[in-house]
Amino acid sequence: MTSFRRCGLVLIGIAWLAVARVSAAADLPTLWAERAKAVVAVEYVTETEVDRRPTVTMGTVVDTQGTVILPPGAIDPRAALWQLKEFRVYLPGDANSAPGEYLGQDAFTGWHFVRADAALRARMVPVTNFAGPKKPAGLADFVWGIGLRGKDEDFTPYLLQSHVALVQALPQRTGIAQQEVAAPGLPVFDREGGFAGLALASFGQTFLQFSRGARSSAVMLVNVEESSAFLLAEDVLPYLGRVPKQPNGRPLAWLGAYGLEPMDREVAKFLKLSTQSGAVVSEVLEGSPAEKAGLRARDIVLAVDRKPLPQLKPDSVVVRYLEREIDRRAPGDALPLSVLRGAERLELNVVLGEQPKLVREAERKYFDRLGVTVREFVYGDAVERRARTADSAGVVVHFVKPSSPVAVAGLRFDDWIKEIDGAEVKTFAEAVQRLAEIDRDGNRPEFVILVGRGGETAVLRVKLK
Amino acid sequence: MKPFPVRSIFALVALVCGLGGAPFRAEAAMSRGFNRLLDAVVRIDVREVGFEGGTRRYTAGIGSGVILSADGLILTNAHVVSPRAVEVNVTLANLERVGAKLVGWDHWTDLAVLRLDLDEVKRRGWKIAHAEFGDSAKLFPGQEVYAVGTPHGLTRTVTRGIISNPNRYFEDSRGVNGYETGAFNTWLQTDAAINPGNSGGPLVTEDGKVVGISSRGYLGANNLGFAIPSATARSVMAGLVQQGTIVRSYVGIVPGALQDLENFYALQLSSGGVLVNSVDPGSPAAKAGLRAGDIVLAIDGAKVDGRFPEQLPPIQNLIASRPVGSTVKFTARRSGETREFAAVTERLESRVGEEWAFEKWGLSVRKVSRTYARENQLEDAGGVVVIGVQSGYPADVAGVTRGDIVIKINQQPIDSLAVMKAAHAAYEANPAPTLLETQRNRRVSLYILKP
Repeated sequence: MTSFRRCGLVLIGIAWLAVARVSAAADLPTLWAERAKAVVAVEYVTETEVDRRPTVTMGTVVDTQGTVILPPGAIDPRAALWQLKEFRVYLPGDANSAPGEYLGQDAFTGWHFVRADAALRARMVPVTNFAGPKKPAGLADFVWGIGLRGKDEDFTPYLLQSHVALVQALPQRTGIAQQEVAAPGLPVFDREGGFAGLALASFGQTFLQFSRGARSSAVMLVNVEESSAFLLAEDVLPYLGRVPKQPNGRPLAWLGAYGLEPMDREVAKFLKLSTQSGAVVSEVLEGSPAEKAGLRARDIVLAVDRKPLPQLKPDSVVVRYLEREIDRRAPGDALPLSVLRGAERLELNVVLGEQPKLVREAERKYFDRLGVTVREFVYGDAVERRARTADSAGVVVHFVKPSSPVAVAGLRFDDWIKEIDGAEVKTFAEAVQRLAEIDRDGNRPEFVILVGRGGETAVLRVKLK
Repeated sequence: MKPFPVRSIFALVALVCGLGGAPFRAEAAMSRGFNRLLDAVVRIDVREVGFEGGTRRYTAGIGSGVILSADGLILTNAHVVSPRAVEVNVTLANLERVGAKLVGWDHWTDLAVLRLDLDEVKRRGWKIAHAEFGDSAKLFPGQEVYAVGTPHGLTRTVTRGIISNPNRYFEDSRGVNGYETGAFNTWLQTDAAINPGNSGGPLVTEDGKVVGISSRGYLGANNLGFAIPSATARSVMAGLVQQGTIVRSYVGIVPGALQDLENFYALQLSSGGVLVNSVDPGSPAAKAGLRAGDIVLAIDGAKVDGRFPEQLPPIQNLIASRPVGSTVKFTARRSGETREFAAVTERLESRVGEEWAFEKWGLSVRKVSRTYARENQLEDAGGVVVIGVQSGYPADVAGVTRGDIVIKINQQPIDSLAVMKAAHAAYEANPAPTLLETQRNRRVSLYILKP
């Protein structure tokens, strides 16, 4: 009798355990409430010559030190570091915020790293706490994620859910759900609450727009608040520790092959590369590691480190594949390339270099009375203007204040200032000194600048009175 | 708003003709000279081939012209009859039609010369009258002029107006069917109604003397018409009759009017000068060391005054009229110093190269010219620009788009259209996958034209 009763208790216990397990997994609101602590909203200000623009973006908590990753598009790549100010981190549903520190962008993943103030850290839970799905998300799997409402609603979190419709290599393993599954930059989870991936910027969808009396026209819409595409966990978790050593993201690996272009299957077949793909090098930049290694314009890169470039869909993905091979390396690392030159196959051993100064790193100076910001002429400017680096003197117009004297004279963004008052401008310092003199001199009625614009030049007369 | 070439644009038009006014003017209009002029004005019907959409397309247009010699030479506009014309028919004053052939054209001055099929004229026993040039240099603002032509296909329409400005500067880098125009001449501006179809017709004085060739009007404006002055027309016509083309010299300077910059450059008003606004990269002027911002004071020792835009065409013409390969000496001022530069001229070339359509590929192309290559900072003048593809044809299917520059075909550099024509002929005979190497914004792509 007793043994029967015991047995019955055990049976009931097992049944209860089974039910509890199922109900725990199904209790989405509980899972959601726990995991909402792994997401934050981040607000920062971009300061320009004439205004301050606040931007709100969202991020995922990746460790217990308050480190947050923001998606690649969260910050304008042209903005200089000193323009990015007042980072603030908000917890979902909370009107209070704490300061954050910008740590820089990782070139390989594209993620921006921000560290939240210690005060918030106790209330943040790293997404890695939920790591460990037994298998990567696959076709038809249930997935869900978190979205955040706007600042006026205290970034209240909400639930999004869907099923996986497709998994594709782009070249990272990317899940595409049937509907929006999370805000870009926020995590995606599986049924048990395991970390399944990180939402990407959403893909565009084509809609037909009808209007009265006109034929329908196709428009592409991109949802900026929610996304149905996400990187699978396997392409996220190994890289969460790639916090940049310095805010400028350096060191940055550099090859110096300009305009890598994909080839389609027909071309691959014609070149007898039926099972693999290749990338055409449009130009090899002056003084670059690619030039030093003997790479030439119109070479076709077939393999990196003896590994043939795969045929991916769409064709253009092969370029991202090759770029990632560069970005995952550091300056000084080897990048063994197999290339096709005409009918000849060559092995080139490239040693990657350090990226020359970028536009966002160039020095700048704003002259309020003239209404212009000039910036240092950097390597990328010479490339863009087909100038030899030896000839690259002058400064570039970075900003023109509307209705200012230079605007009235016809100066435009990206103009290349070569001469001021008939005398050549050699360096940034020289340009700044000359413009500062003009800016200060209240008696000066006018000055003349020679600018280059798209291969042509023009003499502009700036009236100051 | 840009002046439009006055041909084949259809709109409602109120006929304006010289019936009103004081009686003595009506009498003048009936003078012998004017009657003779009326007999010399012709309507021109043109059928021309275009290569835009990946195929050959034929279009028809109407313009005007004036017979200027007893042997049947007709002057008209370059935008009326160009080398693209495949059939030209002329309607004479007796309303009979006769064929004509293009003798030569010059888009820079928007002029073309035709020759009537005189054999046919003789065979059918017609008499042709010809008009005479007047002196455009003697025209004054307010002087009465008449435009005769075929506005909107209305044959033999006379409109009356005055010379509004005898020296109008107007330059358009795409003004004559995409070709450059106006750099070497100024224009007569008139308020005589000039409508589409008036193009190539004469602008005459009361005695029927041709002082201009009507060419353009401002679209949407009232009676702002432009004509090529007879002084320019006379010399260009002579050149075209002699050589079929006008050969000009090029150094690669883009001039700018000094306007009120003299003070800045510390020049004396009397000395004038021309501002060098831009120097084409790789051009003779660039090789000679001239730079943008220089002030040219003299050309071959003769002072030049380019303070105002109207003064620029004659200066440009001064350089252009030098023999190709001759050395032009520039005296220029830079940073307060006066220096000499010597440039050896090249032959002036249009940005627009020869066009062709490869119909099996559905691919229309235009040869890259030296000028186009310089403008677009290309490495050399090799290759062809894609100006159109036909949907569903091999070029379109492969992904080639308008604006791509095809550099190589089956790995062979395209240094002339002939290379591509040969490849197309081979493809026609034996369709096989053909490899194209193209460039767009400096990015090199490969495409396969697949049968």
